[in-house]
Amino acid sequence: MIAARQLISEIVTSLREVIAPAVAEPYAKSQAYMAAVVLEFVARQVEERSDIEAEKHAALMELMRDLARLPEVSALIRGDHLSEAGLCDLIEHLYGARARLDDATFAAANRRIRQTLRELLDGELKVAGKAEG
Amino acid sequence: MSTEQAAQEKIAGYLRAKMPQARDLMLTDFTHSAGGWSHEIYLFYAQWTEDGRAMRQGLCVRKDPGAGLLRELSDLREQFRVIKALEATSAPTSKAYWYEEDPSLLGGPFFVMEKVEGEVPNPWSRAGKEFYAEAAKRGKLPRSFVEALASLHNLDWRAAGLDFLGVPGAGKDFVLREIAKWESLIAQSIRKPEPMLTELIMWLKANAPEARRLAFVHGAYRTGNLIVKDDAIAAVIDWELQVIGDPMYDVAYVLSDLNREGSPLLSCIVERDFFLDYYQQLTGIAIDLEVCRYYDLLYAMRSTAFWLSASGLFAEGRNKDLRLARTTYSVPVVLNMAAKALGF
Repeated sequence: MIAARQLISEIVTSLREVIAPAVAEPYAKSQAYMAAVVLEFVARQVEERSDIEAEKHAALMELMRDLARLPEVSALIRGDHLSEAGLCDLIEHLYGARARLDDATFAAANRRIRQTLRELLDGELKVAGKAEG
Repeated sequence: MSTEQAAQEKIAGYLRAKMPQARDLMLTDFTHSAGGWSHEIYLFYAQWTEDGRAMRQGLCVRKDPGAGLLRELSDLREQFRVIKALEATSAPTSKAYWYEEDPSLLGGPFFVMEKVEGEVPNPWSRAGKEFYAEAAKRGKLPRSFVEALASLHNLDWRAAGLDFLGVPGAGKDFVLREIAKWESLIAQSIRKPEPMLTELIMWLKANAPEARRLAFVHGAYRTGNLIVKDDAIAAVIDWELQVIGDPMYDVAYVLSDLNREGSPLLSCIVERDFFLDYYQQLTGIAIDLEVCRYYDLLYAMRSTAFWLSASGLFAEGRNKDLRLARTTYSVPVVLNMAAKALGF
């Protein structure tokens, strides 16, 4: 998902450079330009949702702690895995190591990762307005 | 002079050069639509005199906008070649006339093809859903929908000269090529890390099925990419994603929930059982539902790649279309569908 401020900044550009110039009716045109101005103010008020960021961090912490308890998997974990980019890397490494892990170990680690993925996805779905339950 | 009028004059000039026998050539009913996410489309009628006779031909110009959804994967020349190759087959398509590489004319490469008469109701709109639901009751369009797909899968793609698209090797090659293609699109897009997408891609690679046979595959066969006239498919359009590959790839797309939001009918037009029976009857190809379920997940990856590319183009300031911005919120929705299909 694109960061809120970056998205607003590009919408402002679109309003100024594409939408407003194409509007012929003076009142509607002024509204398009003013929407750009107001959105610039809004951008200064906006912060990414800290509750979701905190939940994300907690979920990743818990995941790493649980995976560290799986002897064969713990060797795959690095300090920089405690982020979404790190989790991507860990998932790739786990699949890469699948041939030398026994099936039960791979399945257990994959199941635990998927549990965290579910939690991360639920956070994103709140922002997308599609939260379930 | 507006941008549209300028484009109209340039296209008219281009056609006059291509059709020296056409006297007093002029364009009427000229419209410019941003219908596709990837291409700009100009629709119009060309009128001229030839050997003393008044002529009229509906034409469509499809232009590469430069920063479209498929980025470097978009190949207008390939589209032109595909449509040209299909002219000699029974597949319902328009005729392709000229391909122009020179970007100085319209600001990007373009090609000119026949404007097929008919309509393309938008299946995502309420009016479109009603159109297809009514047509489904009459029964002719659902049959035509299946027949047009079967005509693509039954055609001799080597004889038609479509092997230039690239012929996958045996086994899992087709699937792995598709995954690699959409990974490359994802890699081109500004984005934040998406662990769920990584899990999906790794699962797809680990569980890739073997293609049992190869066919000419449209890649996005659904209502909205089909011109309808008199309750029949007059032409299959949007030739951007075609490949030589597993016909189940198209079948899975028809079966997918991605293309029938709010409708009990596949692609908003055809009953599932009827589709399965009639397709198998027309093609002799047994539908493998397990493989289709796999491809449905591959489509989730592809959709995610599209939305990351689209929203990335907007975030990068390369395309100002606000519809692209909207797609950033579609990413978790599609990934959620994939997670559910994978059982979590």
